[in-house]
Order: sequence, then structure tokens, then C-alpha cells
Amino acid sequence: MFSSDTLIARIAQVCLSLFIGLAIWEIAGWQFNAAHMAPVLGSDVAVTRWIAEMITGGAKLQEHPGTLPRLIEFAQEGDFFLALGQSLGLFCTGFGIALLIGLPLGILMARLRLMRIGLESYILGLYATPMAALIPFILSIFGFQFWPKVIVVVLFSVFPILYNTLEGARSLKPEMIEVARAFRSSERRIWIDILIPYTLPFALTGIRQAIGRALVGMVAAEIFLNNTGLGGWLVDSSRSFDMAGVLGAIIVTTLIGVFLMSVVRRLEKRFAAWRGTGG
Amino acid sequence: MTSLSGTDNAQSSLWEKLTGSRFLLKLSFGILILGAWEIGVRNFAAPFVARPLKVVEALPSVLSDIAYWSATWSTLWSVIIGLAIAMVFGTLIGLLMGRVKTADRMLDFYVNGFYAMPMIAALPLLTVWFGYSEEARLATVVFAALFSVIINVSDGARSVPREYLEVATAYRANRRSVWFDITLMSALPYLIAGVRLAAGRALVGAVLAEIFASIEGQGMYILANARGLQQNEAVVGVLMLAAFGLTFDACMNGVLRKWFPWYRRDGGKGS
Repeated sequence: MFSSDTLIARIAQVCLSLFIGLAIWEIAGWQFNAAHMAPVLGSDVAVTRWIAEMITGGAKLQEHPGTLPRLIEFAQEGDFFLALGQSLGLFCTGFGIALLIGLPLGILMARLRLMRIGLESYILGLYATPMAALIPFILSIFGFQFWPKVIVVVLFSVFPILYNTLEGARSLKPEMIEVARAFRSSERRIWIDILIPYTLPFALTGIRQAIGRALVGMVAAEIFLNNTGLGGWLVDSSRSFDMAGVLGAIIVTTLIGVFLMSVVRRLEKRFAAWRGTGG
Repeated sequence: MTSLSGTDNAQSSLWEKLTGSRFLLKLSFGILILGAWEIGVRNFAAPFVARPLKVVEALPSVLSDIAYWSATWSTLWSVIIGLAIAMVFGTLIGLLMGRVKTADRMLDFYVNGFYAMPMIAALPLLTVWFGYSEEARLATVVFAALFSVIINVSDGARSVPREYLEVATAYRANRRSVWFDITLMSALPYLIAGVRLAAGRALVGAVLAEIFASIEGQGMYILANARGLQQNEAVVGVLMLAAFGLTFDACMNGVLRKWFPWYRRDGGKGS
């Protein structure tokens, strides 16, 4: 019985889809000019070179540097880890600050009614503002060193965290606080035992949104402020029409995004039961 | 007497009356923020840094500038066209992924990958392919918007109630009406929610493309003015972008509330 739902069939389908995708990429890379597109393996790898020679009959084979060999070369030079370290350092600093601002402020605003009503619409407005538009201001006011770039990452990521935390903490039933009050719970215990655990799953939704935005902010800062890290590698490669380098940088940033989002999604699933709605 | 939840509401509205209207509260917080900005910049920052009073002063000259409006229109138009393209293709791909298991398994990996990919990383590639032109901006907008539409529509198509499809089969509905009259219709609110998320990303994409490739538009206007130390004029551009974002958000929310009041889905796939 080979229904399309067995585990093996599922794995086979995913592998097939991966293979088809990579094959299309490889063929596209060979079809186009090397200044426009790079294949996965390219002419640096014996197998693909041999296949290409077979197809063209060995006549004047153009060089098509592959993305994977370029990545390996970059890693061997050690520049890759430097770029990765710079980018991750920027990301973690900025995102950490955004968490430190967004989470406590979100819960605090849900607790203080005056502050919430007064500020909520402004926060929603900033949430909807394309933060990319603020990059020129940061560049001209703060310059282009490390901290201005951190500001960019914080700006990109703080509002989804703040807004979702606020909305989550707000949806807490007042009865829960009343019960805690009735049992003479202190404000500190209310935070630790009720507010923070209750808000966590909602905050995670915001955190996942914020990760995507923070990554955009990170690359944007590295492209527009000064060229360091993965964004810098991306720009340098594209300036020298090194498409293998461009695609390599894109793949690495995408992998970081996929990894971080899957971690948060897993956390979300773990805490979703608390929400009662099943996530 | 009012019910338990009713007394709760009555109490909170009484409290509201005591603290003054919401509007006044918002207004006073707004004035407070703007005041702090004005005073802070006036005392501690370089003279070229934007501050509220100067922005208001710059407002008439910017808003009467034809070049400004053409830049605004250029950005807005590319976002609208890009969203329309993303909606059409996103809906088709999303429906397919939602209803056909094989399609889902084949494409899921790529859709999620592209969705997680910071769109700005694609900019250098898109400018090489499309040139430093408006087409590159349009491509960025489509790229930024497409995947959140796909993800939402496929979620919607997946959650079509089984009974609907069974009834359709029982009455021998043809394929076309199963796809378009039932699946698409019940995925519609998801589509709108997806477009709402996509719009925010599309706007960011357009601005980033303009800054990166120096394409005429709102983002370029802001960059040029901020560089030329005319930050107050640039702030007007930012306010315009924020207004776009908010207006679009409000419209989509209104559509959802008016025509799909039963649609509830918290958080969801964020941008």
C-alpha cells in the first residue's frame, strides 16, 4: 500500500522538489551571462562541467562560477566567518535591545490604562510606518558606525514586539488580576506569576514578525550605512558582478532567517496551549 | 440590572468620563511627545535636525511642489500594481498549495524560504536583472508581497470546511465552481488579511528599492532631502509614507470587518 501520505513518500516528494529546484537553478545559471546569474555548482565542479561539455560538444565553454564553490572559497579565506560574526553581532545587539524595550514596555502599558490609551495609536502608527524611510536620517544624524546600525535594527524590530506584547497583555481577563489581588498578591508577584506567563505566547508572535524585520534592518544597515558583514559582502559582490557571491550571501541570510523563525515557531507551538485557542 | 460583564463595562465607561475623553488623552500625549522632540532637538542636536515646528513650516512648500507629488504618485502606483500582481499570482499558487497535497509539498519549502528571506537581500540581484529602473522597484514590491499572500491564501484554502466540498460533490458541482465558487470564496478573507500584511512589506520594499537604486519616488525624495540637510522636508515624506501604511491597513481592516465579520485569526503570519 503506497499511499501518498506515508513518511517515505513525503520525504521523497520533498527531495524531488529540492532536486528540481536546484536543477532549474543550475540550468538557469548556465543559460545566462555569468554577470547576471550564477549556477549552484557551475564550471568549478568537475561533474557539472563535464555534463555541460557533453551537451555543448566541448565547444568554447564559458566560465560559470558556482555559488557553492564560491561560498566554500569564502569560508576558507576566513572572511565568511568575519562577515557572519559582524552581522550576527549587529543582529543580536539590536534585537536584544528591541526585546528589552518592547517586552517590559508592552506589559507596563497594558497595566497603566492612561499610558495605553494615550500612546497606543502612536505605536500603531509607528508599527505601520516603513522604517526604511528613517535610514537616511540616521545616516545624517548619527553617522555610520556600529551603534547607528544598531539603531536601525532596533527601529525595524521594536514595534512588532511592543504592539503584540501590549495587545496580548491587554487581553488578560481582569478577573485573574482581581483574584490575585484578593489573595494579597504584590504587584511584583502579579507580574511574575500572571502577566509575564500569560503574555509570552502573544509576545512570541510579535517576536517572530520582528525577526524578519530585524534581518531586513540588519542587511539594510550594512548596505546603506557602511559595508560590513553579510550586507557588505552582498554589495561588494554585486558591484563586481560576482553573481556567485551575491547568491551566496542571499542564501546565507535566508538560512539565518529560516533558522531563527523555525526556532520561534517551535517555541510558539510549545506555548500555544497556554493561550487556550490552540495557537 | 445589568449582567456581570455589563457592570464591568459601565464601570469602565464611568472611569473614562472621569479621566476625560480618549481623544483628549491621545491629544495630550501627542503634544507631550512632540514637545519633548522639539525641546530636545532645539537644545541638544545640530541645527539641521528635524523638529516639529520646522516640519510644519516646511509643509506648505512641500505640498505645493509638483515634483513631490509626482514622486509620491510614482511610489504609490508601483506599490498598487505590484500588490495587484502579487494578489493574482499569490492567489493562484496559494489555492493550488492549499488543495493539492503534492503541490504543497513541492512548493512549501520554497515559499517559506523566500518568505523568510530578507527582501532587501534580493535588491542587488533585482537591480542587475532589471537595471536601476522602475521595473526593479516593481519586481522588489512583487517579491516582497507575493509570499505572504501565498501563505495566507493556502492557509485559507486548507481550512475550507469539509462539508462545503462534500455538498458540492453531492450536487455534482463542476471543477471550476469547486475551485472558484467554494475554495476561493472561503479563502477570500485570508487573502485580504494576506494582502494587508503584504502591503506593509511592499511599501518597505518600494522605499528600499528607491534608496538603493536611486529611483524617483518617495524614498528617493526623503534620501535626497535628508542628505541635503533639509530634514524637515524629508520628514514630510516619512509622514506621507506612514499615512499610506495606516490608510491601507485601515481599509483592509474595514473590508474584513464589514464583509467577513466571522473572520478571526490572531497574529498569524506576520510580516
